[in-house]
Amino acid sequence: MRWTFRIISYTVFVAFTLIIGIIIFSGVNYFTKPGFFTQYPKSAMSEGGIFPMLIGSLLLMIVVFLVSIPTGLLGTIFITEFAPRRLSIFLQSLAATMNSIPSIVYGLFGLSLFCVKLSLGTSLISASLTLSTMAIPFFISSAAEFLRAVPKELREGVIALGANKLQATLMVLRASKNGLLTSLMLTLGRAFSETAPILVTGAVFYATQLPKKITDPVMTLPTSIYAIVMNLGEKSQWMARAMSSLMVIVMISIYSTVQFLRRHRNE
Amino acid sequence: MSEIVFEIENLFAHYGNHRVLDNVNARILSKGITAIMGPSGCGKSTLLRCLNRLNDMIPSFSMKGVIKFHGQDIYSIKNLTEYRKKVTMVFQRPNPFPMSVFDNVAYGLRIQGITKKELLRDKVEEALKKAALWDEVKDKLKKPAVQLSGGQQQRLCIARALAIEPEVILLDEPTSALDPIATTKIERLLESIAEQYTVIIVTHSMGQALRISDEVIFLYEGRLIEYGLTSEVVKEPRHEMTRQFLTGKIG
Repeated sequence: MRWTFRIISYTVFVAFTLIIGIIIFSGVNYFTKPGFFTQYPKSAMSEGGIFPMLIGSLLLMIVVFLVSIPTGLLGTIFITEFAPRRLSIFLQSLAATMNSIPSIVYGLFGLSLFCVKLSLGTSLISASLTLSTMAIPFFISSAAEFLRAVPKELREGVIALGANKLQATLMVLRASKNGLLTSLMLTLGRAFSETAPILVTGAVFYATQLPKKITDPVMTLPTSIYAIVMNLGEKSQWMARAMSSLMVIVMISIYSTVQFLRRHRNE
Repeated sequence: MSEIVFEIENLFAHYGNHRVLDNVNARILSKGITAIMGPSGCGKSTLLRCLNRLNDMIPSFSMKGVIKFHGQDIYSIKNLTEYRKKVTMVFQRPNPFPMSVFDNVAYGLRIQGITKKELLRDKVEEALKKAALWDEVKDKLKKPAVQLSGGQQQRLCIARALAIEPEVILLDEPTSALDPIATTKIERLLESIAEQYTVIIVTHSMGQALRISDEVIFLYEGRLIEYGLTSEVVKEPRHEMTRQFLTGKIG
């Protein structure tokens, strides 16, 4: 019995490592290609580099960060510190439900609301807002757990010294600092790797220039991978592999940081 | 001369439908140590938490009756933060804030708007000395408070309370999470600060109540069974229930 479990777990471990390893090593060698990080793709993405996709993904992350983290944080604080118990439970299950909505549905929602109704078109801002709609409940679900884990005694201890509710809340945030940072990284990681929501709201397969306004469309890493694999020939596939490799490396860095923060939560 | 600090009149308290305090009447005098004792679940923590209105934060809590602080009904107080600076509280489990030893003690002063460095340093040192912790932490003021031992953390919490110069310090079983040596240190400390402050301590340990308190309030199942000078209650308990508690038959 023990050996069966051991063999299963080793197999799983080896399989996962192989998958990650293959993805990384099938593309990582292109990173040293001259101009890979600094040039535009050329000749139907068979030449050149990934500069606009990199910048596009980065811009998306910046807007998502600016929109969803303050909103998510205020929402979380309301849920754990201020809302009456029933409302708090309701809102938290609402956030959990929103997390299980397929991402393409968010995409279609963003398409109809931001792109069409609000006339923002296929653009950086539509894509960021769509991603944020998804990121906010994701952040809340994760962050609320960390705030709830702060012992009641700490809140009461602050209040008992003559502090007001706001000061008590700040102390709770301070006590859950590492947890909140974890939630932040996981949320941005999720938004970074999502493809479907931006595919229909803001990403284009090819643009000759970087977005100049937030209402311009962008190229991003995940949507470009999709575009290359679906539409282009053998000569362009290397670029998809290189970008996949880069994305996996970014995600591994994010999750390693998260693990590090978890281990140091109490310090 | 002691004066009356708290007057508790016809106090009833409920959590939801569960009655925890049943018509409690008592007076608490200034200075010295008043112990609220009784078996667990008798409502002693609830009574203590009523005194600085900490129960207000619990949604299912409700109470009837009057608690007066120097003659003023505390439930008519608008500025609760100001009141809690006068009547502060130390909890069962040490709850140091996630910051340095110094910042913990300075916290209550900083939220009052005191920012002058020298003043803060003097007040922190004074509070730590009163809490008999200064010698142990004077080289560790910048260290995170969570690195202190349990007993040191609890004395730090007392120092933190002393720093805001309250009039009354409420303590909710402050030694129940500590070992006997740390407990003795806290008891000595409470005796020394009781010359200057009104100390009200909840304890389920009869021994502790007898060792340190001047007056005692004995609660059983939410009712006040007996209260008065500790020495008299111990020598001649007027009530059978108290006698049983003192002899260890209930508790």
